[in-house]
Amino acid sequence: MEENSNQQYSESEKHRIFHSEFMPHINSMHNFAYRLTLDADDSSDLVQDTYLKAYRFIDSFQQGTNAKAWLFRILKNSFINDYRKKSKEPSKVDYQEVETYYNSDDVNRQITPDLRVEALQDMIGDEISNALNSLEVDFRTVIILCDLEGFKYDEMAKILDIPIGTVRSRLHRARNLLKEKLTDYARKMGYKNT
Amino acid sequence: MPPDSPEASKKFPCREMLQKILDGDATPEQQQQFKAHMDECLPCLKGYELEMAIKALLKTKCNGNGAPPDLIEKIKKQISQNTPLH
Repeated sequence: MEENSNQQYSESEKHRIFHSEFMPHINSMHNFAYRLTLDADDSSDLVQDTYLKAYRFIDSFQQGTNAKAWLFRILKNSFINDYRKKSKEPSKVDYQEVETYYNSDDVNRQITPDLRVEALQDMIGDEISNALNSLEVDFRTVIILCDLEGFKYDEMAKILDIPIGTVRSRLHRARNLLKEKLTDYARKMGYKNT
Repeated sequence: MPPDSPEASKKFPCREMLQKILDGDATPEQQQQFKAHMDECLPCLKGYELEMAIKALLKTKCNGNGAPPDLIEKIKKQISQNTPLH
């Protein structure tokens, strides 16, 4: 949290900001928490912890700035500090590997030779959700932030505390991994060399 | 062709542009350029349609059912009492 530009809100201002600027994002926050923890109870606890922290540190929130990005950053940090440790998630993505991938010729390969829009349209169950959840948490996160929540590169960089170039390369890699998973589902559904 | 040849530099940067569009980072001019390019490049058109279909599927299937009402109530109650647990 940025401590360098604190204000001092009155109690009534705090309540107003909390209810009018923070609470409207609770559904997005809950979905983010669920996609990170993959557990209903943990996600509720994580959202609750995040909102209480947000209230406690409300003086470091500047009105007029992006409340949603500010809240997502707190939630992400709480997840890393309090939840990730006890979960069985494998360790972080090898960023070196990601950068190498992005800069390699692989980037220029043909887009998804094995997946067609028709196959996706038949995925009416939980395929996409399962595919997303099966990605390593750092890849899952950028897809959620970009495709579900519509954050821009600079906002994602701030939420995740990583450079914009890393956001870009991680998104690229995440999209390819998601397509690989979806291709597997499409094959299982009977689409051959679609 | 060598990456630094004049031909290569003239080639439309499809992949880069597609990612910019997907990531919401393309300017209106770049979007327009890519749209024009898709009219004459089938692989790019297919790639774009597929990516947009995935995005649409994510939005309809992965947005959750909203926060549980009891969670919302619990948070509001704690804030109104102004006595956070931690």
